[in-house]
Amino acid sequence: MTASIANPAVMNLARRDARDKLRGRTRYTIDHVTPGTLHAFLLRSEVPAARILRLDVTKARAMPGVRAIATAADAPGFFGIGIADHPLFAKDVIRYDGEPIAAVAAETLQQAQAAAAAIELEIAPLPASITMAQALAPDAPLIHENWRDYEILLEGAARGGNVAWEAKVMRGDTEAAFARPDVTIIDSCFSVGRQNHVPFEPRAVVATYEDGRFHIKTSTQVPWTVRNATARALDVPASQIRVTVPPVGGAFGLKFDCSLEPFAAVLARKTGRAVALVNSRREEMLTCLCRENAEIRIRSAVTKEGEIVGREATVLMDCGAYGGEQIFLTTMTAHTLGGNYKLGSARISSRAVYTNTAPNGAFRACNGVYNTFALERHTDEIAEAIGMHPMEFRRRNVIGDGDLGSTGQVFEGDVLGPMLEKMAALQAKAPATPRAPDDRRLFGRATTVGTWFIFVGPSSATINLNTDGSATLITSGVEIGSGTMVQSLPQIVAARLGIRPEDVVVKGADTDAAGFDLGVGGGRTTVSIGAASTAAADEVRKQILHAAGELLQTRVEDLELGAGRVEIRGVKGSGMTIAKVVQHLHGTVGPVAGTGAFTNPGVEAMAGCAMGHFIDAIDIPVFAVHDCEVAVDPDTGHVDVLSYRVVQDVGRALNPRAIHSQIQGGVVQGLGYALHEDMSVGPEGRILQSGFETYRLPGALDVVPVEIELHEGAPSIGPLGTKGAGEVPILNVGATIACAVSRAVGKPIHELPLTPPKVLDLILGDPRHLDHPHISATWIDNTIPVRA
Amino acid sequence: MTVMLRINGEERAFYGDPMTPLVDVLRETLLLTGAKAVCREGFCGACTVLIDGVPTPSCLKPAGLSGGAEITSIEGLGIEGELTALQQALEDNDVVQCGMCFPGMVMTLTPFLAAKPDPTREEVKQALVGNICRCTGYERIIDAVLSIGNKERTP
Repeated sequence: MTASIANPAVMNLARRDARDKLRGRTRYTIDHVTPGTLHAFLLRSEVPAARILRLDVTKARAMPGVRAIATAADAPGFFGIGIADHPLFAKDVIRYDGEPIAAVAAETLQQAQAAAAAIELEIAPLPASITMAQALAPDAPLIHENWRDYEILLEGAARGGNVAWEAKVMRGDTEAAFARPDVTIIDSCFSVGRQNHVPFEPRAVVATYEDGRFHIKTSTQVPWTVRNATARALDVPASQIRVTVPPVGGAFGLKFDCSLEPFAAVLARKTGRAVALVNSRREEMLTCLCRENAEIRIRSAVTKEGEIVGREATVLMDCGAYGGEQIFLTTMTAHTLGGNYKLGSARISSRAVYTNTAPNGAFRACNGVYNTFALERHTDEIAEAIGMHPMEFRRRNVIGDGDLGSTGQVFEGDVLGPMLEKMAALQAKAPATPRAPDDRRLFGRATTVGTWFIFVGPSSATINLNTDGSATLITSGVEIGSGTMVQSLPQIVAARLGIRPEDVVVKGADTDAAGFDLGVGGGRTTVSIGAASTAAADEVRKQILHAAGELLQTRVEDLELGAGRVEIRGVKGSGMTIAKVVQHLHGTVGPVAGTGAFTNPGVEAMAGCAMGHFIDAIDIPVFAVHDCEVAVDPDTGHVDVLSYRVVQDVGRALNPRAIHSQIQGGVVQGLGYALHEDMSVGPEGRILQSGFETYRLPGALDVVPVEIELHEGAPSIGPLGTKGAGEVPILNVGATIACAVSRAVGKPIHELPLTPPKVLDLILGDPRHLDHPHISATWIDNTIPVRA
Repeated sequence: MTVMLRINGEERAFYGDPMTPLVDVLRETLLLTGAKAVCREGFCGACTVLIDGVPTPSCLKPAGLSGGAEITSIEGLGIEGELTALQQALEDNDVVQCGMCFPGMVMTLTPFLAAKPDPTREEVKQALVGNICRCTGYERIIDAVLSIGNKERTP
């Protein structure tokens, strides 16, 4: 691990979009609802489960200002991830409170709302399964009666009843490991609630339909997913759909799926007008594709020397009424819960479970956040059970060079071990937190480790070199606030071409202009779009060098690019400007353009270890070490965070200042998750927190400055050795806070968030061990039987 | 009915329900979209404007009760779009992320800094209790605000 050598791509470039954002001039999708645009409103279900007996829009359609009403008849297709189980509108069956039944377009929003209220709907209530325990009960009604008939988009997973998807890991013989006479068996259960992303810009879309094509302007992270899912929902060719993306006002994973776009599209086709559909904050709260609630059981067989010879785990992920992202996210468990530590043998069942609640989705570091919480608390319980210091246990067991992941992939390089040492050094340097003699608070500290990964996937890029020496970068990337599109990408391209990053024009996403991209999320943008952009830059670089070689009568190997010029190596002023070379090429062979493509090369897992996974092994592991000190008020249960430290594996930091900002912001979102962002589902299946009054977001007074050290040099296939840095900062915040609070109050913790009443309950009550009766201690019982 | 509003130094007429929230008049009628209607409950601060110099959530202010007051929106700051010292510090320190909360932050901090040009860290945090940011985790914003005072102290 050597420190990074000087590279022209590394710099603290400031964002080019800040100036307009600070002046209120930036036009997000919500600011594109211009006069003349029709307003759409969705009629949503107000019950969690029912059969639709009659739906009549005749009267509503005749209301003032109404221009169109769409229902299931207008959108016959099903979409989804892994399985196509999701219709755009509830057709015969309502499966969650908030499910769209009809969409109205009118001249004003009030007119659309009035018409929606006038739609005649007759329903017959059905029994609802609100919790996963209810949905998994032997006599539970099927939420999707015809689940067998759905189109399978990815083969290989077990499904059945209310289990939408099951991903399994089986490596080695855990039964033999648990039967060993020399092991202690530690069994822990955990439970976490949902987390709402609360991007300040809600999901919003403005759609038009002209000359037989849809133009969808939307606040999304995934323009190509929107294109393809809209095509499925409306049963039209995907080539009829163009998606463009204005600046996105926060996303955090919420916008990693298609949601409102097809409604606006179908209404645009019916009316021939621009149609805007913008979620109200209440709709955004009640139908948010939240980080899912989850229930977890982990059992480990550990020797007294601290060797984990066997681990069995079951993770139930509530996908809500439709599979959505959770189908994909079942894959994560193998790497998040199955990461961090060396395991002699492992069996993991990761199940997406249907319930009659609003569908969940992806949220920054997705299921890694709660699996890391569960794993790290479980690790503390192991250390306590075998009488070993928790840090000693971690130092002995963290994954290092040549160790196996849960699916049998071989990890490269010692990363977590040296990162733990860096954290110890940071702690040693820090002054002790001052404490007043009469301070009655309970103090605790914890250090945790976390494993995340960059899901790479396909990206493409085109670069046009202009006669003024500037470059135009065309990709399907989206600027969601993380800075990738305005910092790392122009930095990478500029360094490759020897020009200033300011001279790299970055085009906003447009599926008619740029090639396919998997989307901006999972920390993949700098890596994947960065790699495709590097390949495109290399193509134009070659053309420039070749032409300059001829013009300067010099071998290409003796030329270098920098400061907007081609020079003979080592002889400043010997060459010419890049602009001159481009002008020459324009006149001789034509404009200069290059294209690049990238996708995951694929890392091998051990044969037969992973079943039902979208990816069996991880292309780029990312590790994090977090440390915090807390003080707990014994009278109120309020937790004060006194200090927070992060050592994060970033591969190579292209813009260290921007990464620091991502870490500060990610940690604070994690503090909300750990301490007070409480999203709960009521007995009638409705989300109980409908706005900012009831859903408590972190404020300026809740936070501390995070002390940060970036760990560089770990292996990565990313351009210049980069790894995504924006996703991972939230990963082990819940874990670290929970371990620290547990130590402060001297009681085990199995649930998040740690709101003051819950902490007070912990302090005042006897130590309790959570048990999930619906997750068997016999691992195989938590899987769908394989038919012989 | 007609409501006459004085916005960014100019008389503007609004024809409509006087109970219409000021933020909707700004955004939809006057096309001043800098103020963002994020929570519509007065908690987030993203729609903050100055009403007679006082930072106010424009989502909770009916247009009919805004007549006769001097209203300043984010578009009214600076001359012809030049950045104020505060905005410049926020840009220089690269603290913006998605940006949705920043117009409101700027409107809250502008009168705060006018009244208290050299605040402490804790005072800046106190000033921001009514402005929520989902991206940044606040601390870099506070660093940027404090850097303005520091520049004045060490020219």
